[in-house]
Amino acid sequence: MQADNKLIKDLTPEIENTSFKWYITFFTFLGFFALGIYGLIQQIDKGHIVTGMRDNVVWGFYIVNFIFFMGLSYSGALISGVLHLFHTGWRKPVIRMAELITIISLIIGPFFIFFCIGRLDRLYFLFIHPRIQSPITWDVIAIMTDLVGCFIYLYLSFIEDFAILRDYKGLKVPPWKKKLYKVLSLGFTGTEKELKILANARTIMSVMIIAIAIIVYSVLAWIFGVTLQPGWHSTIFGPYFVIAAVFSGTGLLIILMWIFRKVYHLEEYITKRHFVNVGVLLTVIAAFYGYFTFSDYLTKWYGSIKMDSILIDKLFSDYYSLFIFANYIGIILPCIIIAFPRFRTIPNITVAAVIALIALWVNRYIIVIPTLETPFLPIQDTRPDWINYSPTWIEWSLTLAGVSVFVMLFMLVSKIAPIISISEMQEQDKNEILK
Amino acid sequence: MKKNISFTILLISSLFLIASDLYSQDKALISPYIQLQYFKNTDDNRVLKTTLTYSLNRMELPLAGMEIAFYSDGENNDLLGTGITDDKGAVKFELADDLKIATSNDGMWTFNTVFKGNDTIEAASTEIAVKDVTLVVTYTEPDSIKTITVKSYSLIAGKEVPAAGEPVIIYLPRMFSLLQIGEITLDDNGTGSLEFPGDLPGDKEGNINVITRFEENANFGNVEKQKLLKWGLPTDYSLPTTHRALWTKTAPKWMIYTLSVLLTGVWGHYLFAIISLIRIRINAKRKEEEDNYGK
Repeated sequence: MQADNKLIKDLTPEIENTSFKWYITFFTFLGFFALGIYGLIQQIDKGHIVTGMRDNVVWGFYIVNFIFFMGLSYSGALISGVLHLFHTGWRKPVIRMAELITIISLIIGPFFIFFCIGRLDRLYFLFIHPRIQSPITWDVIAIMTDLVGCFIYLYLSFIEDFAILRDYKGLKVPPWKKKLYKVLSLGFTGTEKELKILANARTIMSVMIIAIAIIVYSVLAWIFGVTLQPGWHSTIFGPYFVIAAVFSGTGLLIILMWIFRKVYHLEEYITKRHFVNVGVLLTVIAAFYGYFTFSDYLTKWYGSIKMDSILIDKLFSDYYSLFIFANYIGIILPCIIIAFPRFRTIPNITVAAVIALIALWVNRYIIVIPTLETPFLPIQDTRPDWINYSPTWIEWSLTLAGVSVFVMLFMLVSKIAPIISISEMQEQDKNEILK
Repeated sequence: MKKNISFTILLISSLFLIASDLYSQDKALISPYIQLQYFKNTDDNRVLKTTLTYSLNRMELPLAGMEIAFYSDGENNDLLGTGITDDKGAVKFELADDLKIATSNDGMWTFNTVFKGNDTIEAASTEIAVKDVTLVVTYTEPDSIKTITVKSYSLIAGKEVPAAGEPVIIYLPRMFSLLQIGEITLDDNGTGSLEFPGDLPGDKEGNINVITRFEENANFGNVEKQKLLKWGLPTDYSLPTTHRALWTKTAPKWMIYTLSVLLTGVWGHYLFAIISLIRIRINAKRKEEEDNYGK
């Protein structure tokens, strides 16, 4: 398969040569990762007592991170699936990033569950004694199904690019990389028949990916929703989680677009139009997300069930600033920035995305922690530090390690595959020529 | 400059001295908290219970394996016996029925409990004074109204002295704790009564265990009477047997069908995608062979 030389060179900036900046960045994040590993060793050695989790708050940062990363993954799948399925014209430079968000977050997320489990040696019990009635079993099945589906979908989208890199004579890479492209491209040559088979498979998988993302993230929401805990027992938790996930994923997509554009000088490919389009998407989702949030808290407040009232009081007292940031500033500010054309600059849209992303993480925090701090049955002789959660450096270090792995995996992928799909961009060129 | 260096050395040395001084300090002895309680149960057995605890980080922790001595009569200090505290820091001593204990003029017995202390824990002791009291509880149903009548008195110098003005509490054991049904304040004759509610669930036969108590009473300690009565509503707590529910080994059928259909649908599409990849590979191989043949 052939492609324009400039296109290949521009979209594969790290495949041939590794810049000094790349090494510096990679090893910095590797350092953060090492700190997380040290924290994990401490936790395994001394037990969960080194974390802030106690008798009441048995889920802390780890579950918050798990939900957050899984949300990013599902939103990546949803965004890339929808963009592909509806052949959105401007999708091409951003679709690969959405696909990578899906896979990388899906790899990182479940590790936070492992950090949370006290008896990891009994993890296999989930597989040898599964109970279909348990939402945890649904989640295990769902995540594994999603992981396989996302890998297939990602691979389908990479085949054409691998074939292009295999056939590109000017590519100066080690022989193992050439061999890798040859194996991974499956001998794809771009004949009409092959293109048709691939297009069919991609369309079907994009439909599947959308459906799975919605179901799987709903399953995660039901883990909370099916319990009778104050704040969690909600019928709208499934769609609420899905909308929140897309909100955070869209925010992350904008941030990644900004980083890649800046670092690899992709101004020609990722333009203001892409930022505005994804930004408008962010605003629309923010409106839906705000509506769901309001609806959820309104019904709880109006119901005046004792424990729900205590929880809402807690949110508006102990968690006041976090609550306001997550559910007011995090929704309204991005909307204002993007809604007014005057504010719609690339840096502004990126700032809005950063606010949305952090707000979503905080939202997860105030969903998990205050509820666990509001138990139905108070335990006897409880000290305040057993009731109130505050994360330790170990939880912070593992959170940082999770973010670092996300960055490092993105960097490693950029060493092997194009960061923007060459085949998709080529198609765009063809279309433009035809026009 | 020289002055600065000297000052720094002096400061560091001082810090070292303070730190070593802190280290060399002996560990402070634990100050225990000792509590003595008196119980007279439904069979008129009398028990002394001592609890030995200490406070660490605002938490009350038990002192297990400690020897506790029990004495009667504060002045003479007659040793009744000793015991070792259990995991909860508690030790019980049952008073023999025929035990003769000297009483004060107002009929009070005085009991002492002593922990001698050891290398790490300070000694501790406490005493209580209680009056032996008789609690008579009768259960009647005049005009179908279930009524509990309580009479209580002490024998002082062979004379019955009513426990006037003292509170008696009626309890029912429920799933997690005791449910208080009511409180009777005894009149000048040491008597009182309470109408028992008729809508409380009992077991299958309607049995309920009624507990009547002087609780942590300043004069009598803890004295109780229990009686199993058919005063509750017969209630069958067993759930209808079901083979497929959330809590059974086998899942409900709808759940298995839904999961099977979903998984078959999804994995079926995965299979289609994988077959597509295989078709691409086969097609490419065929083309390669054709090209090679052409050459």
